[in-house]
Amino acid sequence: MEALSQQQKLTHSPLFKFILLEFICLILMVADKNSQITQPLRNSLSWVAMPIIKVIDWPGQAYQTIEVAIARQANLIEDNNKLKQQLLESQLKVQQNVSLLAENIRLREMLATSQELPLKTSVAFVTDIAQTGKRQHIVINQGRRDGLYKGQPVLSLSGVIGQVDILADHYAHVILITDPNHVMPTEILRTGLRTLAYGNGHNLILKEVPTSAEIHSGDVLITSGFGGRFPRGLTVATLTDVSESPQRDFQIAQALPGGSLSQLTEVFLVWPEQVQAIP
Amino acid sequence: MNANRQQLIFIHLSLLLALLLTLIPWPPTVQLFMPHWTALIIAYWSLHDDGRRVLLYAFAYGLILDVLMGSLLGKHGMSLVALCFLVTKSAKQLRMTSFWQLLMMVVVLLFNDLIIRLFIDWVSYGYLPEWQDFLPLLTVILIWPWLNYILDRIYAALRHR
Repeated sequence: MEALSQQQKLTHSPLFKFILLEFICLILMVADKNSQITQPLRNSLSWVAMPIIKVIDWPGQAYQTIEVAIARQANLIEDNNKLKQQLLESQLKVQQNVSLLAENIRLREMLATSQELPLKTSVAFVTDIAQTGKRQHIVINQGRRDGLYKGQPVLSLSGVIGQVDILADHYAHVILITDPNHVMPTEILRTGLRTLAYGNGHNLILKEVPTSAEIHSGDVLITSGFGGRFPRGLTVATLTDVSESPQRDFQIAQALPGGSLSQLTEVFLVWPEQVQAIP
Repeated sequence: MNANRQQLIFIHLSLLLALLLTLIPWPPTVQLFMPHWTALIIAYWSLHDDGRRVLLYAFAYGLILDVLMGSLLGKHGMSLVALCFLVTKSAKQLRMTSFWQLLMMVVVLLFNDLIIRLFIDWVSYGYLPEWQDFLPLLTVILIWPWLNYILDRIYAALRHR
């Protein structure tokens, strides 16, 4: 009896609770780092997290609604005309592209190379959740329920911006290509030189360009399709600055992603379809 | 019983508010100085309310914070539970000490909390701390007295109703 009461005392002491909770946290962290076991826990916690995200998003949405309600009609008409103009221009470009696409497919068939199928896409909105300085993450309002998967490419109008990193049921964290932990296989459009683009917090950096390779600032960087995460041929960034490494063994180039990554409002998700090889 | 329940609601409200304050998109310069609100609130409650299960709340809110921030599950949980335990352990002495001593202790404990988080970052993905990571501690010195005062007033009002 005495032993029992002692045991009860033990389980009620703060030290015991502390050690137990820390142990649980430690196990969770190890599990989270090394496998997908914690995904169900993340999903169930996302039910609690969802209302908080909604609350943070609410002022922004309210502001937009009010802005539309207050905006003068003249402004709206002006905007509308501008958008129509833009639509016309882009449709013209699409028309040109259609013929180019047909030609491309024909040429590929002649060469009997693999064919790239059109991509399936969907639009998601970026929530107002703050990104901390250390990690460049954005939170989008689509999650596992919408068919997202880990490692899925995320685009904006000006090119690739990142990939889905952490998934919950109703929202997802997207790691941006400028995150210090992100590396992606890229290719320089003009010369076809393949290299890796590392994020460095603000922009991209190419550390491993051979000194013999010819690169200029202004060259366009596209995805090379290696690694199988990003489909080939999406714009990534433009080179801004080329210099030599301190050891003089490589050229180092800085690249600036098109469009500001900190002011995104909507992003496109891409489902790359199976690349079909023509025998 | 009713007052008790009100206090409980107040604890949760303050913690939720802390979560919101952490997640609101501040301008980048303000973001640099943003204190770890949840840790501040947890420190306050473990200082003044050792009879309750603040340790469990620290754990639960830490996990929610992890899910919201997309960090390693358990990172904030671990640092908050450690903070809460350390404060609860010395709550009696801390409540007796002078204003400045308490402030110093809070800063030291939050520094400890920061170190735990930076250590986890370092182990999990090789993040090396920069001097900017320690700026929030300066803001804590400015914010803690006011936070303490406001929460004290509301808490007292609830107790003496």
